[in-house]
Amino acid sequence: MDTETREDIKQETDFLSGNEMASLAASQIDFHVMGYYPITPSTEIAENLDEMKAEGEHDILLIPGEGEHGAAAICYGASTTGARVFNATSAQGLLYAMEQLPVQSGTRFPMLLDVVARSVSGPLDIRCDHSDIMMALNCGWIILMAKDPQAAYDMNIIGVKIGELEDVRLPVIVCYDGFFTSHQKRRVQYFSDKMVVQNYVGFHPPKYISIDVKNPITIGPYMNDPDLINNKKQQSMAMEMAYNRLAEVFDSYYQISGRRYGILDTYMMEDADIALVILNSAFETSKEAVDRLRAEGFKVGVMMPNVIRPFPVKEIRECMKNIRALCVADRQESFGGWGGNMSIEIKAALKDDPDNKTLIISRVYGLGGKEFYVEDAMDMLKEASDVAKKGKVEIPFEYVGATPGDLSYTPGQKQSPMTKEETSPGIISLNRDAQTGKFDIKGVSGRPLNEMPKRISQGHSACSGCGIFPGLDTFFKGIQGHVVVLFQTGCGMVVTTGYPYTSHNVTYIHNLFQSGAPTLGGVVDAFKERQRRGEIPRSEDITFVMVTGDGGMDIGMGHAIGAALRNHNMIILEYDNQGYMNTGAQLSFSTPMGHATSTSHVGPYQSGHKLHHKDTPQIMAACNINYVFTGIATQYRDLIKKAAKAQYFAKNEGLVYGKLLIACPLEWKSEEKIGLEIIQAAVDSCFFPLYEIEHGITNITYNPEDKGKKTPVTEWLKLMGKTRHLLKPEYKDVAESVQKEVDRRWERLKAMHEHPLL
Amino acid sequence: MESGKTTSVIIPKKSQQGFFEIRMESIGGLGANVAGKILAEAGVLGMGLNGSNFSSYGSEKKGAPVKAHVRLCDSDTPIRNNSPVENPHILAIFHESLIKIVPVLQGVGPDSTVMMNTTKTPNETRGILKLHGGYLGCLDALGIAMAEKSRVNIPMLGAICKLSGFIDPDALRGTIKNVFGRKYPQTVPGNLKAFDRGYNEVKVEFFPPDGKYPYQPFIRNPSRLGYMNQPIGGIIVSAGITKEKDLSPSRMGFIPVLDLETCTHCGECDYACPDYCFVWEKGVSKTGKKAIFLKGIDYQYCKGCLQCVWICKPRALTTVKESDYNVDEITVPHPFRKKLTK
Repeated sequence: MDTETREDIKQETDFLSGNEMASLAASQIDFHVMGYYPITPSTEIAENLDEMKAEGEHDILLIPGEGEHGAAAICYGASTTGARVFNATSAQGLLYAMEQLPVQSGTRFPMLLDVVARSVSGPLDIRCDHSDIMMALNCGWIILMAKDPQAAYDMNIIGVKIGELEDVRLPVIVCYDGFFTSHQKRRVQYFSDKMVVQNYVGFHPPKYISIDVKNPITIGPYMNDPDLINNKKQQSMAMEMAYNRLAEVFDSYYQISGRRYGILDTYMMEDADIALVILNSAFETSKEAVDRLRAEGFKVGVMMPNVIRPFPVKEIRECMKNIRALCVADRQESFGGWGGNMSIEIKAALKDDPDNKTLIISRVYGLGGKEFYVEDAMDMLKEASDVAKKGKVEIPFEYVGATPGDLSYTPGQKQSPMTKEETSPGIISLNRDAQTGKFDIKGVSGRPLNEMPKRISQGHSACSGCGIFPGLDTFFKGIQGHVVVLFQTGCGMVVTTGYPYTSHNVTYIHNLFQSGAPTLGGVVDAFKERQRRGEIPRSEDITFVMVTGDGGMDIGMGHAIGAALRNHNMIILEYDNQGYMNTGAQLSFSTPMGHATSTSHVGPYQSGHKLHHKDTPQIMAACNINYVFTGIATQYRDLIKKAAKAQYFAKNEGLVYGKLLIACPLEWKSEEKIGLEIIQAAVDSCFFPLYEIEHGITNITYNPEDKGKKTPVTEWLKLMGKTRHLLKPEYKDVAESVQKEVDRRWERLKAMHEHPLL
Repeated sequence: MESGKTTSVIIPKKSQQGFFEIRMESIGGLGANVAGKILAEAGVLGMGLNGSNFSSYGSEKKGAPVKAHVRLCDSDTPIRNNSPVENPHILAIFHESLIKIVPVLQGVGPDSTVMMNTTKTPNETRGILKLHGGYLGCLDALGIAMAEKSRVNIPMLGAICKLSGFIDPDALRGTIKNVFGRKYPQTVPGNLKAFDRGYNEVKVEFFPPDGKYPYQPFIRNPSRLGYMNQPIGGIIVSAGITKEKDLSPSRMGFIPVLDLETCTHCGECDYACPDYCFVWEKGVSKTGKKAIFLKGIDYQYCKGCLQCVWICKPRALTTVKESDYNVDEITVPHPFRKKLTK
């Protein structure tokens, strides 16, 4: 890439990461809307934009979806109005949103999506590879690749320009590497005056928009044969037009920035006879390998396409004309395709040149964030060189960097599995009156129950003072016998199962972030069916418990309701720390009004979270399940009784839902030592009432008013750094609104407690 | 941000690619991530060098091991590496007990300078670290931080600056002012004082590689598991295996201690502890009934959150400074620790 400084357009020099540069580009472009959902490593983009907005730096409307599918839909809807729209995601988020992507391109509404490349689950890996972006090849979006933080900025601006061209009108993805580019800082430049950016992208509202009452249109009809093929032909032609106009757009960007991007980025390819094709951050590392091998006399070069959709077949054929052997290194495998997608497409492109004789080897590297070293690139080029010497390919496809392991070591059980006897010491006895249905639970006492073995082991890597683990263990003290747990993605899952370690003494399943409820429902029902068929003894008695954070109950709300409506024999246990803590404390719908999070900053233009907190127990109760409860670890007798009842209901009647409020000292910006004090204060202010709903009948189990302990919400809010601002006079309105809502819900709950039909 | 100045800085040591490389070994919560950012930013924007910086850590977690990597080089040297710093010119250890669980010295040769946050002398520290050879600097960064109302990372930066021999302390002071000045202006004077003290108070000694301790090369793939021997699908078959982990390095200086004389065995501490440190034993009460009794705390797992101290009504649990006690003597290991097969 050539660079020249432009005298008349001022640029700042700074030291920023890929995510910071992408956020900066978005802020300067000043999109109308960003519909988003946090996922590592793209979370920082929404966080940065929220912080900038709180300081008044841009006007982007940031709308949190309940999940990436919802966020993508928010984006789609907004784009139909002619608004300029932005989003950022990675891996699972991209996959969850993927259903929306072909609709965006097929109905021809441009927008910009940053994909911060991360490995696709499972198992879950937050680090970089290209398995996510390659899934998007068939979605009909233009895909630009950004190899470093500078390109992350530049390509976002270029992307808006190309997608909105009249004869293109396609959505655009800009892809840069997670962690390697997103979180690494480099010396960079950006335009000092955002109007330079806005003038460059211009204003190009689409011909058809959804909010023009003078031109009523139908968007998204039902279109079968013979018409759909013509819609797709139009889409195909648009992609071809994008291909034809890319060079011109790159050139127009060079005119204002002095940075010239080619369709291909090449290093030392002009006289090379051995080459490597490799994308993004690894391309930069490979340049170093080229320099070292050139010093040894090898005529090598490296290339990376700056755009992979449309795939630049002409330029690639031209580039590889004189190359005798080529190694294509993919940071992803298309399993069963004998290479990653770049290998397959490059081989196809070169086959269309009848004169091309390049020998090609496919190598897969760097999966799941495995580091890529200069030596690795040198090895690949040397291998290609050997192929050229031999004149034939012996190993067309191979993994680089996978290790076989120490064969003298076989992992196995290191402790005896818990027995039914150990986990049923008979301390608690539960009886239910056959006629009245009333429960008589005896033996719930603090000290003796410490004999219960722990289902979760010592050694997990939660933050010091994490409230999840006292909460869960207190609950499990009330659950006797065998347990199988499922965790949705979140702090609890990450700190207990970092491979090759696990803290779970019982069988534990993790599937995805949102689908825990139907997953466990599938486990329970199949377990019962296998018992029915005699494959598993009927005497085997397992209690199935799904553990989730409040985050999982946002993205998984629909799934949880589905499971409740099917009434599986299982318990859903939610720990609420009032945010998406694992990914960096972004807001959740359980975040109360006024609380500061990384996507609800407090600043001159914003005063924390704008909405009141979700009432998940009431939502689940509305599914008419037989038992719903709330609890906290400090009221352990109350919680353990509820756990015993939960076990009874799950075994005998169907789905149970319970919610615990637990402290997160790190993200609540509170002292670790007082975590339990904060929770108790939340209960005593009636923000988090302790109650249960049994067969539709509400029973408040702890009433602070009766004990003369009810306190104003400020007594709770003053204990946490994230809410201390609410005690200041300038935030009086917000604090009063919170008090009012807490009181309203409490009064309503008391009415439900009084009246058997409510 | 002002644009990079042209500079006549001479970088004293360079890797094959022309970088001066710094690696910081720390735990989450001590500010190593921010320290890396400040150091690199000072070099690039304050001194006109080229540079890069990143930290290696996973999801948000206090107390978990963190490494910050910084590369500085001449302005026209391109930076094309994203991989971690393997052979640092300066290795800065923010937390002494990290040595127990992380092989911090890998790749550190006699050409490197090691710097540790400790109250011990370089001689004592060399023995604890088993340092092969090279320069070793010691600084009571925690003491300075507490005295100046700063954090460990700032005096560490002062020391790193001094030991580098070329990083401009004014550039660092300027960057500290920039980074903290906007949102936390009240912390700036204390931070600057702490920086200066770190710069002036670090004690350095040179130990020739006398063969007393071996050089530890950097190992890129330390796992015993691989595609030939790990169970398919990523399944873990060793239930509860985190019991093998030593979490004590994540403590920040304070521990709870138990006075069994005052303890009423009410059991509430067990309900408060996130790390399940309390050890119970079955026995018989004075009235002849079967009961369980608290024996003590297994400090291998204690992270020092002190919630047990908060909940203890008879005040049998109190907060003390860890350095005042020999934890190995007062710890009560969980019975399963003897039973774990190797």
